Amino acid sequence: MNELTINTDFDKFKQGMELMMKPPEFSVATTPSEIIYTEDKMKLIHYIPALAKTHPVPILIVYALVNRYYILDLQPDKSVIKKLLGEGFDVYVIDWGYPSGADRYLTLDDYVNGYLHNSVVKIKERCGLDKITLLGVCQGGTFSIMYSALHPENVQNLVTLVSPVNFDSNKGILNLWAKGLDVDKIVDYYGIVPGDFLNSAFLLLDPFRLMIDKYVGMFDRIECNPEDTTCQVRNEDYITNFLRMEKWIFDSPDQAGETFRQFMKDCYQKNLLIKNEMILNGKKINLKNITMPVLNVMAEFDHLVPNDASIPLADAISSTDKDTLIFPTGHIGIFVGSKSQKEVCPKIAAWLKPRSLLNGKGNTGSSNEEITGSGNEEKTESAKENLNKQRKQIRRERVNKK
Amino acid sequence: MEKSNFESTQEFYDQWINMYKATMGKLIEMPAVGPSREKSEKMMKGVSTFVNLYAAGMDTSSNLQKVFMEAMQKVQEKIQTEMDGEISPEKYKEFYDIWIQTYSETFKDFAKSGHFVSDLGRLNAHLMDFQKYNREMLEENCLKPMDMPTKTEIDEINKELYTLKKTVKELATQIKELKGNK
Repeated sequence: MNELTINTDFDKFKQGMELMMKPPEFSVATTPSEIIYTEDKMKLIHYIPALAKTHPVPILIVYALVNRYYILDLQPDKSVIKKLLGEGFDVYVIDWGYPSGADRYLTLDDYVNGYLHNSVVKIKERCGLDKITLLGVCQGGTFSIMYSALHPENVQNLVTLVSPVNFDSNKGILNLWAKGLDVDKIVDYYGIVPGDFLNSAFLLLDPFRLMIDKYVGMFDRIECNPEDTTCQVRNEDYITNFLRMEKWIFDSPDQAGETFRQFMKDCYQKNLLIKNEMILNGKKINLKNITMPVLNVMAEFDHLVPNDASIPLADAISSTDKDTLIFPTGHIGIFVGSKSQKEVCPKIAAWLKPRSLLNGKGNTGSSNEEITGSGNEEKTESAKENLNKQRKQIRRERVNKK
Repeated sequence: MEKSNFESTQEFYDQWINMYKATMGKLIEMPAVGPSREKSEKMMKGVSTFVNLYAAGMDTSSNLQKVFMEAMQKVQEKIQTEMDGEISPEKYKEFYDIWIQTYSETFKDFAKSGHFVSDLGRLNAHLMDFQKYNREMLEENCLKPMDMPTKTEIDEINKELYTLKKTVKELATQIKELKGNK
């Protein structure tokens, strides 16, 4: 470490500032789409298919209320949606919108049995099908689980991506913090819980890395001389991608108060969902009603939804066709990291394809061969054992790479 | 070992809060009398709400301060072992890496502890009480006398709207089902 390094680092900072001062133009959610249904602030978006002929059963992606759905379509080379379209699927997504004061009394029932249900019905009518595939992400996965338990007749396949079902975990800091919060006071004061309130909580998970090191790292990754044009283009791309991610991270909608109240109290504090004691509009959610094929996808290094928040899903449902996948990524990396395009999306697509066929009567159904998960021997294996196998495989691959 | 400045501050604060509770605190909690008793009681309630928030804030700051001091000690130790006890301008990057990693890990460990969970919960609850109180005072003493709409009134309207919208949607669904059955 010497004077040359100090000068290099200063040059990086200078270059980075120069790039930031010529603000790069960027956009998000660029995959072509159309809005086919709106209800209050909710919009149902349909993506223009990439292939002339798509798999018969469409996918409805249900994202969380916290943060925006376009993380799944952040940029063309890191788009889960574009990848699924390329795999031949017909893809829809729910844009929950930005709740305002008028939405403070919206309940969890309004979201699950209202907006989500109406979107499912709309897609069914449009496609002329009895059932569709639900792909729930994070809290959206929890909603999808609730919906599949309440309306199994509408769901052909359920895919959950980094979705919690068991909230009694000491491994997630958010789970620990939620137990000490007086949720009623927060909702009674705010009405609509500000997105900034949740952002502050997320930043508090690791304030030094998220508020200092992230920005230091941004400048540190600037490379090469200003005269090297190819490298300069790479730098500009890097800054643009960073700003896209930064936009998404802080684009946090406010939360409808009554929904926030019930979700925090019933899920995070009382953990009613996994116990089959959660009630929506007077009806108990019984996870045993879930009998359709289920794929549960987790991120090994997920700091927001620890693995033991998702693993119990396999044993809580009645499905015989169920699989669990774990990838060596973080919570957000599973959507936008390099593994997302190369491994996660292809494996989800490969799992869905044989389960997205019609049975000749216009109704949805799996192929004529019985699909019972990834192998008969794994039928009797618990989800935990399956995961441990996958984790050992990941470690072996890492050692081999070294 | 001499006390740090913060430990002395903490002691002063502890003595101050105990003195307050034994003296002014009791006066504040006394029931009001007279024609404006309602208003007086509400105003006095604000003082105790603020003091509760201040106390929670001080407790949280005190615990955070301890964590940062612990982190600083760890940085000192790591500098001795990993940087041969030498911090120079040329080694600023090594120092930064040690500093950021140590502070990050120490804080994350504290964030998982029962202390922090209870501090955070308590601070948040008292903050909500204080903000709610301020808003009530603002509505009652400023907005209502000026005949301006208040959040409470707007919330009542929003509640009505929500109930009406929900009823309309349910009726629309029933009509659709009846038409379908015909």
